[in-house]
Amino acid sequence: MAKTQYYVPVGPIHPALKEPIRVEAKVEGERIVEVDVKRGFAHRGIEYMGMKRNAIQTLYLSERICGICSISHPYAFVIGSEKALGIEAPPRAQYIRTIIAELERIHSHILWLGVVAHEMGFDSLLFWTWKGREKVLDILELLTGNRINYSVFMIGGVRRDIKESHVKALKDMINYYRIFTEEMKDVFLADPVYKARTRGVAQLSRDMAKKLNVCGPVARAAGLRMDVRQDNPYDAYADIGVRAVVPQDIVGEARGDAYDITMVRLYEIEQSLDIIEFCLEEMPEGKIMAIPNYVALLAKIRRSEGEAIGMHEAPRGEVIHYFKYGNKRDGPVVWKVIAPSYNNINTWAPLLLGAEVADIPIVVAYIDPCMCCNDRVAVVRDESGRLIDPATLHLKAVEKTRKLREELGVRA
Amino acid sequence: MREPMSAEEVLKRLQEALGEAILSHEVREYTMGVRRKRTYRELWIEIDPEAFRKAVEVMFELDYPHLHFITGEDDGGDSLRMVYSFGLFWAIPWGELSVTMRFNLPKDNLVLPTITDLMPGAETNEREIREMLGVEFEGLKNKRHLFLPDDWPEGKYPWRKDEHGVEDMVKHTHRSVNEIRKMRGEE
Repeated sequence: MAKTQYYVPVGPIHPALKEPIRVEAKVEGERIVEVDVKRGFAHRGIEYMGMKRNAIQTLYLSERICGICSISHPYAFVIGSEKALGIEAPPRAQYIRTIIAELERIHSHILWLGVVAHEMGFDSLLFWTWKGREKVLDILELLTGNRINYSVFMIGGVRRDIKESHVKALKDMINYYRIFTEEMKDVFLADPVYKARTRGVAQLSRDMAKKLNVCGPVARAAGLRMDVRQDNPYDAYADIGVRAVVPQDIVGEARGDAYDITMVRLYEIEQSLDIIEFCLEEMPEGKIMAIPNYVALLAKIRRSEGEAIGMHEAPRGEVIHYFKYGNKRDGPVVWKVIAPSYNNINTWAPLLLGAEVADIPIVVAYIDPCMCCNDRVAVVRDESGRLIDPATLHLKAVEKTRKLREELGVRA
Repeated sequence: MREPMSAEEVLKRLQEALGEAILSHEVREYTMGVRRKRTYRELWIEIDPEAFRKAVEVMFELDYPHLHFITGEDDGGDSLRMVYSFGLFWAIPWGELSVTMRFNLPKDNLVLPTITDLMPGAETNEREIREMLGVEFEGLKNKRHLFLPDDWPEGKYPWRKDEHGVEDMVKHTHRSVNEIRKMRGEE
């Protein structure tokens, strides 16, 4: 008897997917036989916006590309812009940038560990890891003034210094995370239930990882030793000599499944702590901005011409920005952004084929997808199919809130 | 273990294979680091669009590259400027060599051969360029929109700055709330 095939759409709004993306799966029983991934549900055209603004405005716009790793895009932006414009950041600023980028890696990795535990149904683990993550967010707030969207990078330096008084708090934080990471390793890597749920799930071979052009922890878990901090070092990473964390160095073999990726992320937290420690010890003295005057900086950009590629190893993988300056503009003429999830989502379709419906959340979550990194034009139409502009949309939202308030009897 | 080649060696191999098709080349040097300064190099070449596929094949012979990005620029003229960037010898400390190819593609013949047969992961990049700039990729199997909605009008490309751009679609997007209220006859 022929088996009936059913069509299971997951997303863009779905309890198993926290991001606006759609996985269309055709299933036979529990087994997925056909899969299609649709993206672009919230594309904001941010690159186009960037080409209409000056470079400093675009830098802070780039911070809004991603909501979690808000330093990754500005980092690639400043590296690329400095290469294109021929500006060199002062040594102290380079070290500060590295410290902030590594702090962000810690918080992003712990966040992912919580999310993946949640996808498996371990909600107590989610709350525990997220509680542990608070510490690093507090430190980021202390150093930059913000818990997210730090606005601390600048083309040719940073805007805030790390003062002597901050160092003790940073060292306390390092000690705290040394212990916390050990605890997390016990919980995640030694737990038989976690192991049973992740071993062999979402398994990516080395060859497939290469062909699908994946990057970041996903590639490293599959055994590829790729890491921008190692292959193309910049700032303080060039002094440190970072080595990519791969499972074969830890346990002897790389299987490229969800368990290996957990392992890679946990060891990377430790690596980040080492990097921060190194930077604190070796931090050079001096100024933190190459051109402190923004008007002078913009004037220099207007006079410059050049193109360059800026790369940064974000917690999720490589972030690549391509720039072209010129035409007497004070902003980029061309700006192209590649976020890590752009390539890593390629793994979903091959991995889901043949998997079970229950594996969808874990296959989706294991690459740490970030849709806001990818979707950078939202098109909204009314009942008659006409485009709705943002102002009308804003008015509609205000009207709806008023209506709701009236219905509920709540006064503004 | 793969042995990384220098920028000059890669350039030489490309010149041997492509000859006159390399219109210009440049090896850029960047010094990175504070206490242990090191220089790394990038190769930037300008090629003839006819030789594009051959250039990519040469790169695949040297090493399986990592595709950094594909992008394009429309300045409103008669051609699109395409930029392809590959990373060769990745996964080797200080070894990655980024090779960036640029060429002008005439607007009356916006066709390029696909590279998805060599690297399936390049599909996303090609689909994006196809919908944003209107470049047709010969041999690309999945031609559905990537970011744009499925009912996006034909012949409109968001990144184009000529008559194929989206100017007429978005001319009303910057109206103010006050203007709309006035249009509706509200106070």
